[in-house]
Amino acid sequence: MNAIEIKGLSKNFGPKQAVCGLDMTVPMGAIYGFIGENGSGKSTTEKMICGLIPKSGGSIRLYGRDNTDGAVRARLGVLIESPGCFPSLTVFDNMMLQAANLNIKDAEKEVIKVLKKVRMEGAAGNKYKNCSLGMKQRVGIAMALLGDPTLLVLDEPLNGLDADGMRIMREVFLDIIKDGTRSIVVSSHLLGELQKVATHYGIIRHGKMLVEMTAEELDASCRTYLALRAEDMRRAEMLLGCRYSRVERDEADYLRVYDLVAPEDIVTYLYENQITVTELRTDKIGLEEYYTDLMNGGKR
Amino acid sequence: MTRELKFESPDFGRRIKGMLGVDFYRLFHTPLFYIFLAIAAIIPAMVSAMTMMPAPDGSASTPLYSNVWQIVASADSLYVVRSIADYANMNMVFIFGGIMVSIFIGHDYKSGYVKQLFTTHAKKQDYMISKTLVCAFAMAAMCVTYLIGGTVGGLLVGYDTAVDPLALVLAILGKMVMSLGWASLYTFLNVIFRKYFGISIASSFFFGTGILIIGAAAVVESLSLPTFFLNIFLYGSSVNASLASTPLTLIICIAVSALWTAVYNLLGTKLLSSCDVY
Repeated sequence: MNAIEIKGLSKNFGPKQAVCGLDMTVPMGAIYGFIGENGSGKSTTEKMICGLIPKSGGSIRLYGRDNTDGAVRARLGVLIESPGCFPSLTVFDNMMLQAANLNIKDAEKEVIKVLKKVRMEGAAGNKYKNCSLGMKQRVGIAMALLGDPTLLVLDEPLNGLDADGMRIMREVFLDIIKDGTRSIVVSSHLLGELQKVATHYGIIRHGKMLVEMTAEELDASCRTYLALRAEDMRRAEMLLGCRYSRVERDEADYLRVYDLVAPEDIVTYLYENQITVTELRTDKIGLEEYYTDLMNGGKR
Repeated sequence: MTRELKFESPDFGRRIKGMLGVDFYRLFHTPLFYIFLAIAAIIPAMVSAMTMMPAPDGSASTPLYSNVWQIVASADSLYVVRSIADYANMNMVFIFGGIMVSIFIGHDYKSGYVKQLFTTHAKKQDYMISKTLVCAFAMAAMCVTYLIGGTVGGLLVGYDTAVDPLALVLAILGKMVMSLGWASLYTFLNVIFRKYFGISIASSFFFGTGILIIGAAAVVESLSLPTFFLNIFLYGSSVNASLASTPLTLIICIAVSALWTAVYNLLGTKLLSSCDVY
């Protein structure tokens, strides 16, 4: 049984088709990185999963049940677009509201426990409107975590978080899925951060699923390259460009050689042309580059 | 390590308890409710005091009421409002209440909290029922502060106090019962205009002042049709609860309030089920 199983999902807003024939599978115990450009249909899909907007076609099953089933919906935790909090209430009061909504027994204790998890217990008495962007985001995540949800749907949960906040969230996410039944769908544009925790990926474009893969599959499809720095980078780039099929200079001013070639061959070749290699390492392209390439229509 | 997954469908009672818990918590933890309670008390006191003040030219003013209890309900059942005195009674609570309901529900959408409610509550009727009940409670509480403010104001300016106690109690109960019907109407209107805060407030005011039913009543009267027919409407039934009320008046109020609550809740549920809720 999968946590989420979507078949042929579509959503029309008047004549505009926001999601068209989307298939998506989120296994149990997965952290599913849901990736796509702005306006690709991520949030619309997430809203349909949570029942906030009705679908125009297709099916959504959560843990084997239709997503309109009250039993499975009661076990959903969400953070979509922004944390739904009342600005004039305190963080604690907002959390208590959600605890009441979920009929949580011993609500105060549970609220404090979850606030501690996201390191917000010290700001419980602050009015929500006075919280910083990062703090608000933590409150939103804490709200989604209340009631021990089986499935978390988080839309851009890492926005506004500082380095410490991101580390905490990674710990929280990994703690949630460790029992192998609970799952998390995370959409984020911070692909580097996402890659640190995601076990599965789904890349959406123009409302259609472009590719779904596991982290292992992504790793396998991300090719290795040689990155080097030399004394005369311009000449080195020109020489290597003539000899190998794909040579690029990256943002960090390294020359990347994507062809399958032994490092010593490159060093020797450049040395013969009076260029000394000062730095050389092998590396793999990350999710961000894989995604960019995919969006540009090619695969490395 | 794999734990066993359990999904239990929450029954109606549990679902409503959750929703009511949220709404009552919010009602008592934000200033909105208390501000409107105060408004409901101050306005009738001011109306009583100001209508007894001398005119600017120094001449004695004509009192708006002849009896302190007329600020609660009109002397007789009526369907066509001809003077401000006919209108300036406890029915004003339904106008204040409409604005309060608009703000209360509007903030659900404005803050985005409605996402949490509709995610965990698959059945949209939960939302309609909970909002209606909580807003009806708030309006009934406003009826109480209105009664206190109006009575104190009326007594201070020296109005006559003679009244049939049973009819007075029935009138007050009738109007409090009507809070439920009005709350359901306002909840429905706010669900329709959920994305347009200003329009939802304007619509609540428009309906609360009874403009529609005043027009209908005028037509009924001009055609010499029986005005009793108007009792089946919220406004008609609300103004029917007068200082001449009988137990039948209260029964009509209960029946009308329940009927309209059922109708508006059904329509609201249908609307929410078929459209984007956020």
